[in-house]
Amino acid sequence: MPPRIPELGRFAEPALLILVSLSDGPKHGYAIMTDVEAGTGRPLGPGTLYAALARLEERGLIEAIAPVDRRRPYRLTAVGATVLADQLRDLAEFADLGLRRLGRARP
Amino acid sequence: MIGLLLRFYPARWRARYGDEFAALLGERQLGPFDVADVLLGALDAHLHLRGLGAASEHAKGFAMSLRIGGFAAIAGGILWFSGFALSSINQGSDALFALALGVGTLALLIALIGLSAFQARQYPRLVWAAFIVPALGAIVSLVGMVGMATMGDLPFIGSWSGWSIWAIGVLALIVGSALFAFATVRARALSRPAAIALAISSFVVIPVLLGVETLNGVLPEAAAPLVVALATLAFAGGWIGLGVSALRIDRSRPVAQAGGTA
Repeated sequence: MPPRIPELGRFAEPALLILVSLSDGPKHGYAIMTDVEAGTGRPLGPGTLYAALARLEERGLIEAIAPVDRRRPYRLTAVGATVLADQLRDLAEFADLGLRRLGRARP
Repeated sequence: MIGLLLRFYPARWRARYGDEFAALLGERQLGPFDVADVLLGALDAHLHLRGLGAASEHAKGFAMSLRIGGFAAIAGGILWFSGFALSSINQGSDALFALALGVGTLALLIALIGLSAFQARQYPRLVWAAFIVPALGAIVSLVGMVGMATMGDLPFIGSWSGWSIWAIGVLALIVGSALFAFATVRARALSRPAAIALAISSFVVIPVLLGVETLNGVLPEAAAPLVVALATLAFAGGWIGLGVSALRIDRSRPVAQAGGTA
């Protein structure tokens, strides 16, 4: 399966979680952390969060918007939404393949 | 504690993210996991910032290609329509219309390069393959215009007159624009409605241009140029729409750009 969020190394998974978190609207750092933790049951550390945010921002997949107090929300760009959709589609196909091989295909 | 943790990050990183990062750390009680994660994040920031200049230049390059492509698409659409439609109805100076067509075609070529460079981030093969035909068409039509200007109706290259070369180039530009529009719809980085409009209008404008003499015989005298003008307007409108969508994306990027360079 080709990597669709390129050159993020060990931050590829946090980056995917962040993109999913931003897919329903802009969020600031703390909101992303709590959203990811609620969705996955695993904590996302602040250092990891900002390392991934910086990389996503550099690649134009997310963008910062005007800060509210000291919190700065981020949102998906059009390119980011495209990359996320492709990535999720690939993951869904891969998950289906795995479940079929296990004989536990989703209904 | 928060101030101390922030000190581990490079000054450039703190200048960009320090304030919001401090606000984030202040919103939760920091445990050993958080402190370790922040320290690892600081180490990563030091290592990462060494390569950040190159990454920022890369991002700037994409933003620049988007901006140039957007403005060129708008200018090309307007000039192409002005030159083509007005020359079709034979009003005003031929030289002026030829200049508008020539500059418009050059602008469309620049737009193709800029927008392709932007979209090729995700689908390089598809986008650059779709770029070749219209780009060649634009170049050939420009060569044809030079032939018309210098040789008139006489053969310019082999037995081909400047007009014949120009006409082939324009057809390739239009057909290629449809291919480029399909690639743009697939890449989904720019406006899909504008790309669909360009694709449809390309298919409409080809038979209209090829059949303009027939139209002159079938429709009232004033109607045929109007049909040509409308078809050309739709084609130019597709390019203008793509240009506007490119500039809209570019306009939403300054904060992100600032983040990359702080």
